[in-house]
Amino acid sequence: MSRAGSTAALAAVTVALGAVAAALPWLGVSSYVRTLVYYACYYMALGQAWNLISGMTGYVSFAHGALAGIGAYATVIALNAQWPVAAGLAAGAAAAGLASLVIGATSLRLRGAAFTFATLFFQELVLLIVRKLPAAGGPGGLVLQEIYPTSLPYVLMVVLAAVATIAVAALRFSRTGVRVLAIKHDETAAVAIGIDSTRLKVAIFCASAAIAGLVGSIHAIFVGSLFPDVVFAVEISLIALAVPLIGGVGTAMGPVVGALLYVGMREVFQVVAPGLHLTIVGLLILAVVLFMRDGIVGAAARAWATRRRTAVPAEGG
Amino acid sequence: MSLTLFFQLLANGLVVGGLLGIVALGLALIFGVMRVVNFAHGEFITLGAYATYLLVTQLGASPLFGIPLALALGGAIGWLIQAGVIARVTERPELDMLMTTYALSVVGLGAFAAGFGGDFRSYSAGPSGSLDLAGVVVGWRSLTVLLTCLVMGAATLLLVQRARVGLGLRALAQNRDAAASCGINVIASERLAFSAAVALAAAAGALVSLIGTTTPTVGHGWVLDGFVVVMLGGLGSVAGALVAAFGIGFVQSFASYLLDDSWARIIIYLLLYAAILVRPHGLLGRQEHA
Repeated sequence: MSRAGSTAALAAVTVALGAVAAALPWLGVSSYVRTLVYYACYYMALGQAWNLISGMTGYVSFAHGALAGIGAYATVIALNAQWPVAAGLAAGAAAAGLASLVIGATSLRLRGAAFTFATLFFQELVLLIVRKLPAAGGPGGLVLQEIYPTSLPYVLMVVLAAVATIAVAALRFSRTGVRVLAIKHDETAAVAIGIDSTRLKVAIFCASAAIAGLVGSIHAIFVGSLFPDVVFAVEISLIALAVPLIGGVGTAMGPVVGALLYVGMREVFQVVAPGLHLTIVGLLILAVVLFMRDGIVGAAARAWATRRRTAVPAEGG
Repeated sequence: MSLTLFFQLLANGLVVGGLLGIVALGLALIFGVMRVVNFAHGEFITLGAYATYLLVTQLGASPLFGIPLALALGGAIGWLIQAGVIARVTERPELDMLMTTYALSVVGLGAFAAGFGGDFRSYSAGPSGSLDLAGVVVGWRSLTVLLTCLVMGAATLLLVQRARVGLGLRALAQNRDAAASCGINVIASERLAFSAAVALAAAAGALVSLIGTTTPTVGHGWVLDGFVVVMLGGLGSVAGALVAAFGIGFVQSFASYLLDDSWARIIIYLLLYAAILVRPHGLLGRQEHA
């Protein structure tokens, strides 16, 4: 199958699965299952946003949780000012996108870990500043005044997860995607053949941040209230990178597999080892980086390829 | 602001600066020798703080014994982690190294939170009272911290600049391949550097527990400031790092008094963004090796 063909096939499967998932509230499925599906889509969309910048370019972001938080705050402030829902969501995406330009313009001009540091400190800085801002409710947070039916954020999140997955798949096999991968593998060579790496990195980061902002916006409608210490918790940025890392960095399917696995894992560990959630996620990342660099999707693809290769002579002989 | 108050804040800034210097020295040692950014450094600070806390509250020992305990514990754990984890990723792409130390940090953070809960822990044993220098009051505890930091910092610099093993560390920092082909034992040198840096961090943690409260995230805040110091001061010059450490110490001391703790942090982090803009050599003020 050609690359364009496989992207189209993946898009079709994603749309079909997304349609089924989005229809669940009307199919008489228990609210527990619906909540699980919602959270799987939430982690999937956030993971795809991280995957877009960090998985594709190799520049690690520790701030995707904070970017989602900025989207959440912008949306709640906009909705409380009686904006329509679509405008509120757009405000969330725009706010996160603008914030990404602030980080990106300073640090993406540079190679190496400068971007990672900029995002690390951004994560801390945003929490400190939001706690100081009266317009953002200070340390007490904000409450969404209007109550929306839960099916609204549910359907929106499923759609966003599907769109983000298709976007990553489409980018990966596009001309722009090839340029981005060239930056990841050898930035000096990429620049030498005429790729404007800074512009491309800033643009990709902005798109990634806008998706993260939308994730935060939709989740704000889902939870209805924002507390700065919860919204800007380091854990959310950790999940944003753990999900694609476990599934498979830089692939469209990685965050999908990672999110499904993570949701299941979280349910099990909440019962088995409630206090050790962070430690387990950390150990998982460590194990994946040390022993399974391309994540579950990569390992599975390799195992599949090995099986086919060994199977062919047996059939022919 | 009266002159006495000014000197008081200056003294507080010196103590913070001394601790930051020790933390930054360890970060620079690890990055210089291994090209690894150690995000887990803060968790080793927390480790030293809890070890000292347990020593004081469970065994009734003086917290001063916490310093050698933390040095030994940190050195041993640093050695093991370097051998078991870090050595596997030093030759890998940067993404792997960043993820590895970040994951170690998360594991530590989770373990401390699970083991000790979110309580603020402190003890009253150890040096007490204060020294009154013409109105400027310096607690014996703070003085202990500052002096220990100076001694440890000087010892580390002597090790790196004068000792034979230090020659190996400096050679590795300059050029890994050339150092290896000259017969420098790369594996042993890297283990020594990581182990010494973690020992310093743990000892800094023991000192932090002496003058403040211990929480699962206590080291996290210190290491972020440590990164600011290394980025502002640059890895190339010890003098630059020292100026940055005490500079940040003074900024924190004065801003905490004039505004509050959060504003002090906001100012320090904004300084970091300025540093990224004016120091376009990327990480830690040094040009990347091709």
